[in-house]
Amino acid sequence: MKPSIYEDSRDVFLDTVDAKDYIQLERISTIYQVLKDSIKKPFKMVLLYGKPGTGKSMFLSKLHESIASEQKAYLYKTPILDESEFYKTLAQDLYEIRYDGELNFTQFMRVVENRELVEAIVPVIMLDEAQLYSTIMMEKIRLLSDTRKVKFVIALHKTEKEDIIAKEHFQTRIWESIKLENALPSELKIYIQKKLMKANCIDTASMFTPKSINLIHKLTDGNYRDTNKLIYTLFDIYHYYAQNTPNKIKRNEISAKIIEMAAIHTGLINA
Amino acid sequence: MLNIHELENKHKKYKLKSFAPYLVILLSITIVLISILFFLLYDLGSNTELNKSEQIAQKEESQREENSTSNLTQEKNETLQKEISIPEIVKEVPKTEEVTEAIQKKVLLSPSLNFIKSIESQAPIYKEKVHKTAAIVEQQIKKPIQKKEEILLPAVEEVKESMAIVEKTGSIDIKRRDEEVDIKHVIKRFNINHNPALSLFVAKKYYQLEDYEQAYNYALATNELNNDMEASWIIFSKSLVKLGKKEMAVETLKKYINYSSSSQAKQLLDEILSGKFK
Ligand SMILES: Nc1ncnc2c1ncn2[C@@H]1O[C@H](COP(=O)(O)OP(=O)(O)OP(=O)(O)O)[C@@H](O)[C@H]1O
Ligand SMILES: [Mg+2]
Repeated sequence: MKPSIYEDSRDVFLDTVDAKDYIQLERISTIYQVLKDSIKKPFKMVLLYGKPGTGKSMFLSKLHESIASEQKAYLYKTPILDESEFYKTLAQDLYEIRYDGELNFTQFMRVVENRELVEAIVPVIMLDEAQLYSTIMMEKIRLLSDTRKVKFVIALHKTEKEDIIAKEHFQTRIWESIKLENALPSELKIYIQKKLMKANCIDTASMFTPKSINLIHKLTDGNYRDTNKLIYTLFDIYHYYAQNTPNKIKRNEISAKIIEMAAIHTGLINA
Repeated sequence: MLNIHELENKHKKYKLKSFAPYLVILLSITIVLISILFFLLYDLGSNTELNKSEQIAQKEESQREENSTSNLTQEKNETLQKEISIPEIVKEVPKTEEVTEAIQKKVLLSPSLNFIKSIESQAPIYKEKVHKTAAIVEQQIKKPIQKKEEILLPAVEEVKESMAIVEKTGSIDIKRRDEEVDIKHVIKRFNINHNPALSLFVAKKYYQLEDYEQAYNYALATNELNNDMEASWIIFSKSLVKLGKKEMAVETLKKYINYSSSSQAKQLLDEILSGKFK
């Protein structure tokens, strides 16, 4: 094994959202298909929700990347909170119209209504962190989608309790709502190993036995972000040992002790 | 960053702690076993000396005794467990606080102006982009002029009408209380996921609240995470002016305009230089 293998493996688990790092998981790809199909359906807005770290932003980035080649699609990672600014950005992206002054809802609505769709394809606007938009703003977004001239896909962060409210609320005819969940142990295994394989860290990928995966799952509950943090620290510890006391580590499987040490360091275990 | 030695110690403690309940159970089982053994032996010894009727009476008595003593040992065990578990809990509480405190400390942002240097070193990377974006901007500027004529401004009455619709449906449909999104809540989330969208949101909120120092801090954090966000540079420069660092704001904007050719930034720069924005 190369000495830098642990460093390379560690950096695989940096917490970043980039469509090119997307890992296809079976359950997620089913949801992905549902989402892709729902974009083609008229009327509906699409709501993507779930606990922090379940991959909403990642999902949206991937969806954006894959449909942007086929049709007009824009991803707003940052909520545009100024209303006029929001419409102006939409006008620019959707119709390439630039406004210098203020643009209000009614004015913009007029523009949208009078537009003919190009080849009957509805352009898609994706809004991440949509809980930051105000209620009124969300209502206006809904009215905009009612014109059927633009479609919104919305990712919403909700806490567990609010999740239920969100679900009940958005399960009306207007919304197609999709919930993202934490990974099952089997999915977590695929997630970790595929991530490592993608970065050519085949040796470390094979170190994750079912036993170590189960322990990791127990600690992180299958949350992708928590898993990233845990494994990042795990390889950081491995890297340290490899440099300082290489005889302390086994190279054929991930040690439970080091998993637990990483969990202590990241706060998943209170010790 | 990683203190392996400390981590190893913590892990040892953690392991001991997780074994403690088993130790307690093991200990109590041995105590019970020993006491049962003791009474059995006692029974056997008395057998030879006492006649039968006495034996029966004794047996009953010892059985009663046994019951009560085993109750006693159970009680003992319970208090034993309590004694062991209480200090554990007490110990744990301040620790978790310590951990969260440490986490918060880590992400507390200290104002630093190193970024300006970092822009300088990054500038060449953007050169190519500047040409491209400049071309795009040119295109975009040309188009709207032709199209602007098409846009009809609706009458005031119509505006009122549709606003009424919005308000009606708004109150029925969505009852989210995010009108006054808790800024602290957003900060907490930013500290976890380091999403520049969130820090920009916080910067904007603080700017609205006229807390320019915090606005500056969060805009800076945003720029460090993603230095391609126009809105963040705008808030950053505006906060600088508000903090009395006009020159720095001008400097920053100039550098930003150099690689982004942002019209918003240019506009702000003009306003600052002319004294319109202060
Ligand atoms: N399918 C996936 N493939 C690769 N990485 C993923 C996948 N799903 C999640 N991740 C990783 O997990 C981490 C958390 O995901 P993400 O940021 O998308 O969560 P989120 O649901 O948007 O969280 P929040 O509600 O806090 O915004 C990211 O670093 C991302 O790289
Ligand atoms: Mg997200």
